[in-house]
Amino acid sequence: MTAFIELKNITKYFSHVVANQDVSFSIERGEVLALLGENGAGKSTVMKILYGLYRADAGEIFQNGKAAAIHSPRDAMNLGITMIQQHFSLVQAHSVTENIILGNVHGAIDREAADREVAALAAEHGFDIDPRARVGDLAVGVQQKVEILKAIYQKTRLLIMDEPTAVLTPQESDQLMKFVKNFTSQGNSVVFITHKLQEVMAVADRIIVMRNGMVSGNLRKADTDARELSRLMIGRELTNAAQVKTERAGGEVRLALDRVSVSDHGAVPSLADVSFEIHAGEVFGIAGVSGNGQQELCEVICGALTPVSGSIRLDGRAIETLNIHERVKRGIGYVPSNRHRDGLVMNMTMAENMLLKTSFDPRWLKNGFIDRKRLDAVSEKAIADYRIKASGPAAILRTLSGGNQQKVIVAREVDIGEKLIIFDQPTRGLDLGAIDNVHKIIRAERAKGKAILLVSTELTEILGLSDRYTVLYKGRLQGIYDRSALTVEEIGLLMAGYQLKEGGAHG
Amino acid sequence: MIVGLLSRAVLMSTPLLYGSIAEVYAERSGMMVTAIEGIFLIGAWAGFTGSYLTGSLLIGLIWAILGGLLLSALYGWITVFLRQHQVVTGTALNILAVGICAFFQRVIFGVPTTPLTIKPLPQLAVPLLADIPWIGTILFRQNILTYALYLLLPVSIFILYRTSLGLTIRSTGENPEAVDVAGISVVKVRFLTVLLAGIMGGIAGSFYSIGYLGMFADNIIGGRGWIAFAICFLGNWNPKGALIGTVVFGLAEALAIYMQSLGGQSFFPNELFIALPYLLTIILTISRRSYNVPAKLGEPYVKEN
Repeated sequence: MTAFIELKNITKYFSHVVANQDVSFSIERGEVLALLGENGAGKSTVMKILYGLYRADAGEIFQNGKAAAIHSPRDAMNLGITMIQQHFSLVQAHSVTENIILGNVHGAIDREAADREVAALAAEHGFDIDPRARVGDLAVGVQQKVEILKAIYQKTRLLIMDEPTAVLTPQESDQLMKFVKNFTSQGNSVVFITHKLQEVMAVADRIIVMRNGMVSGNLRKADTDARELSRLMIGRELTNAAQVKTERAGGEVRLALDRVSVSDHGAVPSLADVSFEIHAGEVFGIAGVSGNGQQELCEVICGALTPVSGSIRLDGRAIETLNIHERVKRGIGYVPSNRHRDGLVMNMTMAENMLLKTSFDPRWLKNGFIDRKRLDAVSEKAIADYRIKASGPAAILRTLSGGNQQKVIVAREVDIGEKLIIFDQPTRGLDLGAIDNVHKIIRAERAKGKAILLVSTELTEILGLSDRYTVLYKGRLQGIYDRSALTVEEIGLLMAGYQLKEGGAHG
Repeated sequence: MIVGLLSRAVLMSTPLLYGSIAEVYAERSGMMVTAIEGIFLIGAWAGFTGSYLTGSLLIGLIWAILGGLLLSALYGWITVFLRQHQVVTGTALNILAVGICAFFQRVIFGVPTTPLTIKPLPQLAVPLLADIPWIGTILFRQNILTYALYLLLPVSIFILYRTSLGLTIRSTGENPEAVDVAGISVVKVRFLTVLLAGIMGGIAGSFYSIGYLGMFADNIIGGRGWIAFAICFLGNWNPKGALIGTVVFGLAEALAIYMQSLGGQSFFPNELFIALPYLLTIILTISRRSYNVPAKLGEPYVKEN
């Protein structure tokens, strides 16, 4: 029997960056297929192609063995394919019913009848939803049910869900799993896009593992285990992991966090009881899937967030109540992960961006005005030292390449961070040469005796640069380890929220 | 006197209601038609010119519709397809419309010594209804465009709130991505509502020239397009609210005209009453507390990929 859906050699570029390369797999009737991979592995992209939101640059899609032309979500829906987006696509101001019937009704709407129909559909699947409720008033978990009902209303036969449990409580997740099993038992198919191993082991029949835009594994759940999946997902090319083996950093304690918690509006804390120390001349790595509290951790140290409890000390002095300016003055540099949003002003010149975070500092002033000569001199020096490809201090930042923009931030923050530099995903989106450059800078600053906090979702980076590291999972540390203490599989399990049963030194 | 005033208020409300319903459709889909002032003006000029040259008010009306359609298509092309800024584009087109109308007015008619006039749309008394005391005179001794509005208002309410098309339009203004994911083209919905606004705006504009003045002047619209634009805001983006808004403004305009006719006998200066609708716009806009703004009003929809 032919597969319900067959993807053949799907390739997709986003302005010359490969998002999918030669992706081929099938989706069978009545199965739960997990699409597993790290962030940026290309899982969502390939499914958005199947749903008609993106157009593939190459490759074919077959349904029941026949070539299917999918140019828009409408085409996909006509083939019985529906996709629930990660951040949903509901109209907050409209009622549940209005959201469900959008695009699926014609002509006049009989509201009462539509409400009744939606109520009946909800009851049939055991969902407790008021059809007349305003979607914006509903909890996220309930909004997801609205999305599911929308798909069922369209009589979908393949339901694609993008990270569906990311927003759910464990109980809601259990309910969702129950629904998925029930839905597929009627001959329908479900694709589960996820990076959570536990979820995959709980619900999937078959698993497609993706890495760097390619399929790195296609396995039946019965034939595999979490370790193998973790290895396939993360890969083993730890080429530069053991490059520099310098002596253990022996400096005094620079930065000390003691049971720091950050609250996210009373809900689950985004950081809970985080304690660690970084010594002078030490790189401390934070591994983990992004969105597990990394940004909060960086911001609480640089002063953008205030902890609800706990203390932060720099060279023995409490800094948790100081504002960002004060912390900048004490020598904390911060290279944020989203450089466009948090680090740079793209329409200003390179020199102005160099000045951005220390503009209050009198050293830039001469007779009350900005000392252009001095600023230009500092910028010229940065251009030379960091080999920034820019026409000069007056170059508009937008005209620089991504790698050179990153060098501008790094130059500025290295200058500011006399004591401590926080690097949050410093190499994301950079090409190999630029990555190598950033790594060199991190090593050089470490050698100068600065304390360095390195946040990265790339394990190779963490293992290649850190003296010690920890894994962040849901705002908590999963123990602190020396560079060579764990295998990649073990780290993968920690990142997925498992605890190590044997061998792992719990910190 | 009261009846006369109210009758005139209904007359003056008519184009404002066309204009504000036009805005309601477009803004509900996320498009501010800031070219509305220019669309009004083109409608007024094309309506007059068409009627004058052919001697047919119907042909004039058709010209007005085409004129409004043309300008709105230009606006829609620039804002929806080229994703340019709506306010900037609209302002530019409004200035363009002033130039176009003045230019072709001179080219076609030269500079006549006496103003060119046409016979405006006649008042039609609706049999039976027109004989109802008070109400008959106020509501049922109007011209055909006003009567068409009596139909357009409930139809618009029905379309926006009781049909699939209306749901799509409203969803497009709130969350275009949801519409896209539901398999409907956001660009198409937005462009079509802008065109619809152009048609209705053209009719609204023609009302000033062929509806009751029977002539065209460069400043014939004098900001009334903007008032229709403001009424859409004040009426909370729904046709019923727009109706209330237009009645208030129509009344203010009628009052201004009435006070002008009194001449020097009035205690208040005339100019105050002429300014009344505009003052009202400012006062009502700043005094409204809660708005129900379409969440993505004015934002171009940029699809990834």
